[in-house]
Amino acid sequence: MAIANETVLLSVKGVSKRFGITQALSDVSVEFRAGEVHALMGENGAGKSTLGKAIAGLHKPDTGYIAIEGKQLKLGSIDDAFAAGVRIVHQELAQCPNLSVAENLCLHDMPKKSVCTVDFNEMTRRASELVHKLDPSIDVAMPLGRLSPGKRQICQIAASLEDGADRGGSSPRIIVFDEPTSSLSIAEADRLGEIVRELAQQGLTIIYVSHRMGEIFACCDRVTVLRDGKFVATNEVKDIDEAALVEQMIGRRVVTPGGKAEGELNEASALQEAAGVGGEHPHAGKVVLSAKSITSPGKLRDVSLKVRAGEVLGIGGLVGAGRSELLAAIFGLDPRATGDLTIDGNPLRIGKARASIRAGLGLVPEDRRHEGLFFDLGVDENIVAPRMPALASWSLPFGLRKIGEEARLVRERIKAFQVKTASTKSKPGELSGGNQQKLLIARWMGEETKILLLDEPTRGIDVGTKVEVYKLIREAADKGLAVLLVSSEMPELLALSDRIMVLADGVCTGTLEGDEMTQTNVLTLATRETSAA
Amino acid sequence: MYHARGGRTGQNSQYRFRSLCDGSPRCSSPLNVATVGPVTESSQNNQTQSASRTPLIRRLAGAQEAGLLLVIVLMGTLLAILGGTKQKQFRIDISPEANVVEFYADGTEGTPGDRPLPQVSGWRVTENSNTTTFDREEGFSYNAGQQAFFGKTTVNKFLDKENLVLVAKDASFIAIMAVGMTAVIILAGIDLSVGSIYGLSALLGAMALNGLLDPGTSALLSIPVGVGICCLVGALCGAANGIMIVGLRVHPFVITLGTMAAYRGVIFVVSKGQSVGQFPSSFTSGFFKAEIAGVYPVPVIVMLLVGAVGVFLLAKTVVGRQVYAIGGNETAAKYAGIPVGRVKFIVYTLLGLLAGLSAAVYLGYLGAAEPNAGMTYELKVIAATVIGGASLMGGRGSALGAVLGAIVIQLIDNGMIILGVDQSYNQIVMGVAIIIAVVIDQAKTRFAPKG
Repeated sequence: MAIANETVLLSVKGVSKRFGITQALSDVSVEFRAGEVHALMGENGAGKSTLGKAIAGLHKPDTGYIAIEGKQLKLGSIDDAFAAGVRIVHQELAQCPNLSVAENLCLHDMPKKSVCTVDFNEMTRRASELVHKLDPSIDVAMPLGRLSPGKRQICQIAASLEDGADRGGSSPRIIVFDEPTSSLSIAEADRLGEIVRELAQQGLTIIYVSHRMGEIFACCDRVTVLRDGKFVATNEVKDIDEAALVEQMIGRRVVTPGGKAEGELNEASALQEAAGVGGEHPHAGKVVLSAKSITSPGKLRDVSLKVRAGEVLGIGGLVGAGRSELLAAIFGLDPRATGDLTIDGNPLRIGKARASIRAGLGLVPEDRRHEGLFFDLGVDENIVAPRMPALASWSLPFGLRKIGEEARLVRERIKAFQVKTASTKSKPGELSGGNQQKLLIARWMGEETKILLLDEPTRGIDVGTKVEVYKLIREAADKGLAVLLVSSEMPELLALSDRIMVLADGVCTGTLEGDEMTQTNVLTLATRETSAA
Repeated sequence: MYHARGGRTGQNSQYRFRSLCDGSPRCSSPLNVATVGPVTESSQNNQTQSASRTPLIRRLAGAQEAGLLLVIVLMGTLLAILGGTKQKQFRIDISPEANVVEFYADGTEGTPGDRPLPQVSGWRVTENSNTTTFDREEGFSYNAGQQAFFGKTTVNKFLDKENLVLVAKDASFIAIMAVGMTAVIILAGIDLSVGSIYGLSALLGAMALNGLLDPGTSALLSIPVGVGICCLVGALCGAANGIMIVGLRVHPFVITLGTMAAYRGVIFVVSKGQSVGQFPSSFTSGFFKAEIAGVYPVPVIVMLLVGAVGVFLLAKTVVGRQVYAIGGNETAAKYAGIPVGRVKFIVYTLLGLLAGLSAAVYLGYLGAAEPNAGMTYELKVIAATVIGGASLMGGRGSALGAVLGAIVIQLIDNGMIILGVDQSYNQIVMGVAIIIAVVIDQAKTRFAPKG
């Protein structure tokens, strides 16, 4: 953090951008200094990603200007920004999985042998040089789609470091990281933080778009907060604490119990407080779900668990440890899964999602956009979808829907789960991310659901909504719902769970209860070497 | 401590992973830890060396096209064995100076035609003191009017030279277009109008050859005019597709569904439903239907050339790799500064041009253009491309595969004829074959080892 000096390298002045009816940015001005790691923070929809993309030329602002060392960039031009040394590491992996790592790294400027043919040797050499600085284990000849998300992210960073100065191109000076850790595991995110610091030490300016508190305090020098597309403040990271940052982000103060002041855990304790979690929960309920030796070739081996009514069983582990796969297997989405399931003592054949739903299982998948919601149907049909056959007048494929009963059920659920929607006919796309998530969870919130499987239930939603979701999950559990919770956010997992089962390489490495449930213990189990998956 | 541990776990799991992974993307899990942990020198070396050391034969065997080649060889072998043989007539011309005598079973001789044929046992031909004997029992017959002997041999129905060239020739019309279609499908696009472009190019080319040129025009003029007009018309049609797809941002399926009908309509308006023929012979028998070594190989040669150029363009040139990039992830391609619109335009235009070239070959070979030429070719072309390993999701496919795919399709057609199956069953077999090919291909990808 020492290298950052006071010289302003990049200045953004009065930038506004409107998408349809949404004002994504309004009159934002920020200055970025040479050699600093500058975070852009804000809740979803605050405009932080839009600002990052505008700087890299991916969006064209409606007003304002962006200048590097006083020289204005052509707005909305990827080429002009690139020539000025601005690079972007995209949030979604913006790569071609069918091409080799080397081709991906040189996509912008392929080395040529003659007028039109590619010089593959030069390409391999250039790519290895770039990527091996960050990770020497990556084979640049391999198709990129076969790498893990972490390695793909590293390739993307390596691509942004490409220095074309000696070929008449530009050297990288400013790198925009757009939520770079959203698809990474904890360990990978740690390594990314190190890389960011290293790059800053080499004199590059880093613009770090993120909403993860821990990362901001771990690797950033200054942080600019945006709210509803407006500039709120630019702070020196060393002069601000988390509570103040959260306050800037959401515009009100979150109840924060004093004491703990270590990174993200602080946020967690605030959430815990708000959600009324943390005390002893009398989960003397009977065992609702018991799964014995769930196995799926290459994914899971011999995983057994029991959940009682009113209990939240957390499932911990690194990305790829088989957590989502376990939920999918129990819910019946994995045709190759084997094992014994009993619900309320009745055996359930594994591998049939329809039967699982009828037996009282519900699944909230990780990716609400692609696996969860029907974006062309209204809020009402989204909620009632799994119940439609049961409510229909005959349980036949052509059974008539009971519209009145459905509408009543929808109204109840929307009210109970505080889904903010203009009408029950609104499309999920018109809802905010947080409300979409609540809608998805509300789908399963009725007495017909005995066991709820939650996969990353608060991914990509803002702090305020998270608190509400926690509270609602806890309330439902207290009414007797059994919950299986997969979460990559350690504080969330620790705060919400009554017990935590940890997976590593598809094998259960241990179950933690009571005081054993600490971040250290979960990580120790998550990284334990297993005999095989 | 955490990193060190992560590193070791990763090392072990890499090996485990190779043997147990079912190849699904989720399965890459054990590697995640390895990516961030420190990796030891030795393992890194192993990895890079093993990649470059893969023997050529194994790489060839693992290639997409190897499976297709195997299928073609298998089908060929089956047809050769099951197809059986047929009698084939051949002709031996004799010079007018040669002296032909008949001989009979009783040892006497006479001039041809002296006795009725059943009594003749053979002919003796003497020319420049060389004598050749043709026995009637061996199947020979003599035609005095044509100054020729006709003999019969038994040939394998499938392996017969003429049949093999026929299969390749029929495949070539499809294959030439399939090479272009491969590029379009790699882009995650589609072109349903190729059959109509083919028909329109053929018609306009035929009208030019018929109307502008005398029947005796030399090859130096007739070939450039014929091929040039066909290719130009094709390229213009393709360019129109490209402009609309890029400019109007409508899915290529819709645009080309429209132009498929529109171009076909132009054909019927212009031709008034009549076929156009009578070209300079230098264009037909002088070039595209030139007889070389007893067969007509020009269309096949054109196909091989187009295939070779296609392989080179897609695999070795910048624009070729950009095509793969756009098909793999269009957003990423855009972000990398690839002129996505321009590349798409080029690819659709090239496909049109190839449809025109294919039409020129067809004109030259058959000597006439019919209004419904190329009807349903789009399906055959797309089928050839897909059998050749192209993915309709984009990002995958090869020009060589497309050529082989076209050959597979024609082999199926040919096989039905050779095995004497009713022609009505053709379409059923073809449809089933396409589905099987794609399912096998997908299964191969699914179970392919992952790194």
